[in-house]
Amino acid sequence: MKTDFQTIILKLSEFWSAEGCVILQPYDAEVGAGTFHPATTLKALGPTPWRAAYVQPSRRPADGRYGENPNRLYRHHQYQVILKPSPDDVQDVYLRSLKYIGLDPLLHDIRFVEDDWESPTLGASGLGWEVWGDGQEITQFTYFQQVGGFPCDPVPAELTYGLERLTSVVQGIENVYDLDWNGAQGDARMTYGDVALQMEQEFSAFSFEQLDAPIVFRHFEDAEAMCRHLVENKLVLPAYEYCLKASHLFNLLDARGVLSVTERANYIGRVRALARQCCELWMENVHG
Amino acid sequence: MAEWLFEIFSEEIPSRMQQGAQDQLKTLAEGHFQAQGLPFDTIRTFVTPRRLTLLVEGLPLQTPEKQEEKKGPRVDAPQAAIDGFLKTTGVPREKCLVQETPKGNFLFVIKQEPSHPTREVLPSIALSLLKEFRWPKSMRWGHLSMSWVRPIRGLLSLFDGEVVPFSYANVDASATTYGHRFLAPLPFEVKNFKDYEQKLRDHFVILDAQERRDLIRQEITRIAQEAHLKPVKDDALLEEVTGLVEWPIALKGKVDPQFMTLPREVITTPMRVHQRYFPLLDSDGKLAPYFGVIANIQAPNNQGKTIVIGNERVLRARLADAQFFWDQDRKKPLDNFNTDLKTRLFHQHLGSLFDKVERVSKLSSRLAEKMGADPKTVVRAALLSKADLASQMVGEFPELQGIMGRYYAQAQGETPEIARAIEEHYWPKGAGAPVPEAIPSLILGIADRLDTLMGFFTIGITPTGSKDPYALRRAGLGLIALCLNPRCNFSMVDVLEWAYEGYPWSELTAPTIKSKKEAVEDLWQFLLERFKFFLRDTQGSPYDHVEAVLSVAHDNPTFSELALRTQALDQLMDGKDGENLLVAYKRASNILRIEEEKDGRLYEGSVSKASLIALEEKTLSDTLETKSPEIQHLVQQGDFIKAVQNLATLRPYVDQFFDKVVVNTEEEQTRTNRLHLLAYLRKTLHQVADFSKVEG
Repeated sequence: MKTDFQTIILKLSEFWSAEGCVILQPYDAEVGAGTFHPATTLKALGPTPWRAAYVQPSRRPADGRYGENPNRLYRHHQYQVILKPSPDDVQDVYLRSLKYIGLDPLLHDIRFVEDDWESPTLGASGLGWEVWGDGQEITQFTYFQQVGGFPCDPVPAELTYGLERLTSVVQGIENVYDLDWNGAQGDARMTYGDVALQMEQEFSAFSFEQLDAPIVFRHFEDAEAMCRHLVENKLVLPAYEYCLKASHLFNLLDARGVLSVTERANYIGRVRALARQCCELWMENVHG
Repeated sequence: MAEWLFEIFSEEIPSRMQQGAQDQLKTLAEGHFQAQGLPFDTIRTFVTPRRLTLLVEGLPLQTPEKQEEKKGPRVDAPQAAIDGFLKTTGVPREKCLVQETPKGNFLFVIKQEPSHPTREVLPSIALSLLKEFRWPKSMRWGHLSMSWVRPIRGLLSLFDGEVVPFSYANVDASATTYGHRFLAPLPFEVKNFKDYEQKLRDHFVILDAQERRDLIRQEITRIAQEAHLKPVKDDALLEEVTGLVEWPIALKGKVDPQFMTLPREVITTPMRVHQRYFPLLDSDGKLAPYFGVIANIQAPNNQGKTIVIGNERVLRARLADAQFFWDQDRKKPLDNFNTDLKTRLFHQHLGSLFDKVERVSKLSSRLAEKMGADPKTVVRAALLSKADLASQMVGEFPELQGIMGRYYAQAQGETPEIARAIEEHYWPKGAGAPVPEAIPSLILGIADRLDTLMGFFTIGITPTGSKDPYALRRAGLGLIALCLNPRCNFSMVDVLEWAYEGYPWSELTAPTIKSKKEAVEDLWQFLLERFKFFLRDTQGSPYDHVEAVLSVAHDNPTFSELALRTQALDQLMDGKDGENLLVAYKRASNILRIEEEKDGRLYEGSVSKASLIALEEKTLSDTLETKSPEIQHLVQQGDFIKAVQNLATLRPYVDQFFDKVVVNTEEEQTRTNRLHLLAYLRKTLHQVADFSKVEG
């Protein structure tokens, strides 16, 4: 019996709960990766120990393929774990989590291959690896060195499992839409496609064809202005939420192909400036 | 005699850094043992993905006693100076020695550094090694402030079979280490290096990278041969894979046959670059539908079937992507991709990539005319040269730039020369890599690099120290390699000017824009520097030979001429003739310099035959008279080898002249004439190179 998609999520939560993580819910705004959740970005800064785990649906408008590509998705799911400070046995604990969801490292070829991580929009970077399972990247493993331009001290370890890819290795399934979502039989059986295909099709059509660029440009301006206003009034979490909105709106414009190279760099710079201000405010609160 | 075994056990070290780390640890350790005056027989270092190991053999158990001699002031120095010396050395006056030196009698103190157990000095050496080591990129972890390439999780330190205790990064040194991460996860103790190496092997780790590399090569070859295939030779891939595994196991996977119609590079790029697989070839050298993969684990029973199936699945997904891009990209003519290049910057102050394409196209046309090639072909190739950068395939696999351009050009019926030039204008891809032979490829490659270099040099972006973000040094070396083709008969300075003229400088808004004269001069000097470097690397020419050649070359030399001339000089200076000729040259030019200075005039007149007296000067003069025009002719013909062979024949006449003839005689007319003869000799030699620049 191969572990299904939702059971993998449940087991990861069980596992990381037992490791002392608070199990959070996904951030309820559009983000491109689990890293953007304030539970990672902001909590990575400052001296307070912090352990959290959560699923984060992650939107990558440029990767939308109308549900026709077996492994590229407009929205995929990440399982995000943040451990601050990074524990001495973090690799071993991580490998135990793989075993716990049914990926036996004696039967599969698990390797740590150099892959340093950088997010230009967050002004964040770290060193680590992509973890391979039989040649498939299943996890991004990063020791954060800085976020929003601030050094992380202590250093957190961030584990980002790509849930679709991980499940495809566990289930030995090629096409993401064929993954077993709920493990049920007969009429109750649900595949990934049953659950997510419509969203892929419609959101691809939205971002590549129907997205009204002038509206999104306007929304970007608004989100940026709101973020600045909230920073001035020292409301760090709402300010950061508007920074996330600006980031997602930029991703939409980028996917729509309406930004020239120069404009693109310019927009990235604007989002990074917002992220930096939010992190600065966060650090003031931490130290003030 | 004893050995010190020191292992730094960490989380996975990036493969690309391992060889460098192994070398650096050896150099650092040698330095420290030498500085401490500790003799040793050998220092060896080892690296695997999870450990960096040092072995020092033949160390004494006790450090040698050291005597240090300290020299003080003279015995009759002021008392304050003597007191100061006694105070710093801590030795009373009566224990000081007095030694006689040419400058008088001096006080000396001999300090004895007693012998210590070697064991006691090792911890400080170990700590220095850890602190002084420099990784290309390093990180902090946990609460700690020190950095290493990845977190340090163990330190093994054994001297003469016993632990040398010290701590670093919250880890205590011990006699314990770990084997393979999955196959033997429990720690174990070792006694010495031999035991360490053997136990690692028992615990599924091959310590020696060379052994792992050889094993991987053999194993990949073996699984290929099982299917009557052979692996593609790829040393870079082999090196990388060696750094990814401690226990290599070769497995063979299948490529889904439906993808075998894709262009070869489109199949092998995801294999090699993304998945680190070895492509396999059939007996005709054609790509076979199989690949070799090196796993880091020996799976039980099912012989790695799960692993193979998993890897095949990943490759299939990547090739499905590639197939999609291949189909999509070909729906649109290449020319249309140029529209996208209008919004892609070449550099913020140098316009878009499309602007570049247009400049390169014009420059190629001028070069083609000069070189007697067909401008139409190069202009068309130039226009399409960057189009593939906007294709989906190159977006996904940047390594395929140029290669996809060739395929897409072929697919839309461009001539083979054009398709080839699109790919080959990126050649040479590195030092020693192939240079295009086809003329359109050559011209396009030259024009592209000239344009890039001139653009950046004009706005003041030039390589400094280790900073060269636009890889201008590589572009310079590439340009030189291309211009060595004898078809490149143009003056470099001329074409640099053309490149400058291609930019619409008045419309560009860079903060600095150099004048044509300044930009051309700066770039030309840069290229000459690169040229010296290039000749040293490719034909082993010493810098001074290149200098000597540059000094006499006319204003607008071609690189091929300079290279041949330098090669000829190298050949001459390799033998006895060159050496002696150089001595004679130096003698002649010294005499000339001194006499010219003394008399306040130059001796450049012609030799008067009538005034030649000694047999040796007559012979030398006659020889020069026949040889000099001959050499001049050969130089003009570009036959530098023959020219220097002729120079070499001068040697006995020159030697005899200096043996028998005194230049500075009383008789003024004879003296002047002999000085003229020396000047004639110098002039003859200068036809090939300025020998005053050659180091003897």
